[in-house]
Amino acid sequence: MSSESGTELRASDAALIERIVQRDQAALAALYDRYAGMLSSVLNRILRDPQAAEEILQDIFFQLWRNPSQFDPARGSLPGWLMVIARNRAISRLRRHNPAAGDELSEAAAVSTINIETAAAQQQLIGRVKGALENLPAEQRAAIELAYFEGMSHSEIAQRTGDPLGTVKTRLRSAVESLKRTLHAQAASTS
Amino acid sequence: MNAHPTREEDFDLYALGALDGDEKLAFESHLAECQQCARKLAEARGRIAMLSLAAPRVEPSPAVKQRLMAQVRTESITRSVRNIADNARRNAISDALRKANGSFEDAAAMLGIDHGALLDLVQKYDLDPASTGPPKNPRANPFPGFLRRWRAAILVPAFAALAIATAILWQQDRNLDRQLAALRTTAAQQHRQLDDARHFADLIGSSDTVIVALAPQPGQPLGSAHVMYNTKMGMLMYDGEIAPAPSAKSYELWVIPTDGKPINAGVFNPVTGRADHWMMKMPPGVEPKMFAVTLEPQGGMPRPTGPMVLIGHA
Repeated sequence: MSSESGTELRASDAALIERIVQRDQAALAALYDRYAGMLSSVLNRILRDPQAAEEILQDIFFQLWRNPSQFDPARGSLPGWLMVIARNRAISRLRRHNPAAGDELSEAAAVSTINIETAAAQQQLIGRVKGALENLPAEQRAAIELAYFEGMSHSEIAQRTGDPLGTVKTRLRSAVESLKRTLHAQAASTS
Repeated sequence: MNAHPTREEDFDLYALGALDGDEKLAFESHLAECQQCARKLAEARGRIAMLSLAAPRVEPSPAVKQRLMAQVRTESITRSVRNIADNARRNAISDALRKANGSFEDAAAMLGIDHGALLDLVQKYDLDPASTGPPKNPRANPFPGFLRRWRAAILVPAFAALAIATAILWQQDRNLDRQLAALRTTAAQQHRQLDDARHFADLIGSSDTVIVALAPQPGQPLGSAHVMYNTKMGMLMYDGEIAPAPSAKSYELWVIPTDGKPINAGVFNPVTGRADHWMMKMPPGVEPKMFAVTLEPQGGMPRPTGPMVLIGHA
């Protein structure tokens, strides 16, 4: 549920970040209202642990408060950057609980042009991403969901599903090609 | 340098975390040396991140935002305390250098630190040792050359100027008195903030501290608050956000003890989007049973008369 005031609703992400640099707590609260639901959803989907998801959610926004200049508006949109961080932190937490699963992901650079500063734009893009995934063949969709939400590599997916490694690679390659075409067009239309 | 990835979708596959083994190593090895591919990977990460939006919607509990904002307020208080301490240290160094007429050795001795440490601090606080020393010596002869012949002509207006300067200085002296009074007020405020921050740190650090959540009551203005109290320390802290009070009304926080009458713990008029928080001492021996925020006539009442807006049981 959003509790942003009218002024905060109209403020752009970049303006709110600038106010956070000036230590404005209301600006952080506004960004939280804007993106906490979206981040909470992906954190819960990956971790399936509401308490761990809430811990990471709070930590992401507290880090944004302590070091807002980490986000560079020139390199892309805030929600894209936040989603990369949320997913990396969640996968990293999953892997700590399962040391055999491999190394920890870093919070690397991400560029995203999506603009979902309003709830309506957010809803519209959610619909398009879900639509793009639903249009994939079932086995491609399953493979990409295992990679994105479970943090699995080609080999791990092959092991989980029992499919040959080459088949898994082909499915994932076809899936990202389709998604890239669709999402690229959508990003352009919402930016 | 390894060759560029042969297929464009390799960037998306890497961003997805799907590559492993030799494929991953070769990709990373190339990436470390190729800015163009690093840029393509950043774009792929942003694109792949959109898959997050396919997750089923799960709203976080309101407690996360409350904890976050409490954490932010605590961090802000800590930062203020650090700034006050820095200012005090800066002033002490500046003062010591002034008293030591700019001598680093004497100033370091006054401060009880070694010469090197003082030099580091002067650099850290960007102090100008020259400006903290005594005024420069005036020129030995203020009337060089032909001016000596015109001393009388110069001295008469000089005395007039001196009289004017004295009047100006007297006025400036009065202004300085006023500024000094204002600085004393500021210093007293900073001391109070520092005391509050120390009490707050003691309160949150004590295992005897109890946190009570105050919940809104049906039909009353929306809001939420926490009271943190410690009967051993005799301290109480209120932290909450609530809708602004209606015209000519104020909110009032009450401590309702297990035995005795409700105790007034603060009257407040909230501002939209801003949390109210304060600390106060609790009377000794008071054992709270509950805390309540009531709506009272503006300025508050000696005992609760209005409806209960927030309630929390200890």
